[in-house]
Amino acid sequence: MKRFLSKSMALTMVMLLVLMAACSNGDSSSEGDGEKVELTFWNIWTEPSPQNEASLKQVEKFEEEHPNIKIKQQNIPHDQFKVKVKTQAAGQQLPDLIQVWPGAELTPLVDGELIQPVDDILSSWDGLIKEDQFADYNVDGKQYAIPANVTPTSLVYYNKKMLKDAGYDEFPKTYGEFKQLIEKLKGGGKIPIALGNKAQWVLQSSYISTIADRMTGSDFLQAVKNGEKKFTDEKFIEALKVIQELSEMEAFNNDFNSIDNIQHRELFILEEAAMMIDGAWSLGPTLEAVEDPENVGIALFPEIEGGEGDPSAVSAVTGTGIALNSELEGEKLEAAQEFLKSFYDKEYYNDLMKADILVAADIEPPEGVSPQLKHVSELTSKKITPVYDASLPVEVTDVLNSGLQEVSLGTMTPEQLAEKLQAAMEKQK
Amino acid sequence: MHLLSRNKWPAVFGLAPALLIYLMFAIIPILISFYYSLMDWDGFTDMRFVGLANFQEALSDPIFWQSLKNNLYVVAASVFGQIPIALFFAILLNRKLKGGKIFRTLGFMPVVISTVIISLVWGMMYNSRRGLFNHLLELVGLGEWAQNWLGDPKWAMISVCITIIWQFVGLYLIIFLAALQNIPQEIYEAARIDGASGWKQTLYITLPMMRNAIAVAVILCISGSLRTFDLIYVMTSGGPGHSTEVLAMYMFDQTFSSTRFGYGSALSLFIFFFSLILVYLSTVVLRKKAD
Repeated sequence: MKRFLSKSMALTMVMLLVLMAACSNGDSSSEGDGEKVELTFWNIWTEPSPQNEASLKQVEKFEEEHPNIKIKQQNIPHDQFKVKVKTQAAGQQLPDLIQVWPGAELTPLVDGELIQPVDDILSSWDGLIKEDQFADYNVDGKQYAIPANVTPTSLVYYNKKMLKDAGYDEFPKTYGEFKQLIEKLKGGGKIPIALGNKAQWVLQSSYISTIADRMTGSDFLQAVKNGEKKFTDEKFIEALKVIQELSEMEAFNNDFNSIDNIQHRELFILEEAAMMIDGAWSLGPTLEAVEDPENVGIALFPEIEGGEGDPSAVSAVTGTGIALNSELEGEKLEAAQEFLKSFYDKEYYNDLMKADILVAADIEPPEGVSPQLKHVSELTSKKITPVYDASLPVEVTDVLNSGLQEVSLGTMTPEQLAEKLQAAMEKQK
Repeated sequence: MHLLSRNKWPAVFGLAPALLIYLMFAIIPILISFYYSLMDWDGFTDMRFVGLANFQEALSDPIFWQSLKNNLYVVAASVFGQIPIALFFAILLNRKLKGGKIFRTLGFMPVVISTVIISLVWGMMYNSRRGLFNHLLELVGLGEWAQNWLGDPKWAMISVCITIIWQFVGLYLIIFLAALQNIPQEIYEAARIDGASGWKQTLYITLPMMRNAIAVAVILCISGSLRTFDLIYVMTSGGPGHSTEVLAMYMFDQTFSSTRFGYGSALSLFIFFFSLILVYLSTVVLRKKAD
């Protein structure tokens, strides 16, 4: 027995040793040997879209130019990315370079001191990026990332031919006329507006962010955050009533709560629907897929009678910023800063514009940019207003997202939603 | 190895690695989530002790109760839907049936297919404009029965439950088939000699002999339905409104998208206790029958 015991002991010890050796091995290899700097980098560039390809090209270019720096990428799909960042942030295990979004996504990272400002190298973009283009990634006077693109979240795409058949040569200027157009399109047996709100953010990001702005004006959100105004204000409730009214008059396809935003884009592309209200992210894919790109018209949501907002305003958010982990220092920090300088160069902004993406830089559009992109860039050049989910705390956004879906179903009134929002807002303090 | 020897140390050593891993990944996280549930924590900034506030909030949170109710629907649909259907088909397939193997494979197929695919396909079939179901109803002249299956809060939960039943019938079918094979033929022979009809044989021999298999299936059913997540997440994401929200999904949303790790932990502890209670109740009920 004794002999057996000692044998089994020995065996366990050996196994433990092997385990430990395996673990420690993993650690030492990721540290590097000092000659080659390795930076970990998480982003959402999984799809083969032109924008992602342009971004990945920048990384490749940087690695070619800097053979002693290795960028170790993890490409993670958008929704999972955000969950992963939050989880890893809780465990203090963020990578060296992280793609970040302004507002509600960025501020907790700053508050938790998980990322560091890039103010030291900001002068590299003098003349290329204007101060107000930097603003979204600026928290309390410190710059945390460089913006690449500006994304209007709320554009009305319309089928020029179908509108003409309904008797409209031009997109309606007011909400009243817009409703008449919807009635006429319905009479013609077509879906007036394609909507896929299964994921719940569409009515918030593409609809209410701009519609509410038409009613309340652009200072409303900030005032609500400061406690000067409330979601229960009449103007905001009227904005919610627009959603209620549109769904009651059956302006949307009737399965709008069970399809997603990719599917609603298809309804528009296949000419089953005459319009869709969507962000600029749909511009490239739509123009690529429709038979005749000339037939796609783009407008802003019309002016609403009695609204206090500027009818030329559109909700937009800047994006594709990359933040630096606050733990970076010395050689690694220098390498990371070098990476940012090389990544956000003029060529990148040109590539983005060629891919029908509006950029957050002050440069002339290169040749070969589509007329639609030029049109969108004119439409959105007048006034930019905040997108709700980029400026409100996540919990309030959650209430708004699911509440809008309920308002569209008729299971909640706009007044009830407004009260719930205000209650969620007050709980934040 | 001397199984009967008094010395238990070799057994302990053998178990140690498995036990260690189980402790690390199952028991300790439960204890840690109890600790987190007493905190207000967003994962980024420092934790704040709030006592039992998270539990209090959960109890007065209508969405929490809605999710619990939906979870109970799923449990009911599984226990009273999946098990009887699976039992019925198992008994059918246990006879010498032409093409029995094909039916068995077909029945088991949904269990093998990835849940995401099932959800997407059923989502398309439920679609109100283009979907198979509404189309079929229209074809046979029952157009007014057509519904917005997943988009209408009245129907969404029912539609989801039907898919869940379909998905797992095959699993219990296989369990029951295996149990049926284990019933000795002699008992049936004896019964036939005594003049017991087919129906009586099923009622007085087959079902009692399968009690243990059914009990296992019920427990699997309950614990499985309390964990339901993927199917609903893909099919409706809890919508419309919160009409198909279940506890696991609400917990996930609160923890990882609203970054309320404390509240999420409190919710997960509720799920933990509900599962314990339900599984305990079901064993009690099933044991009573056995006595």
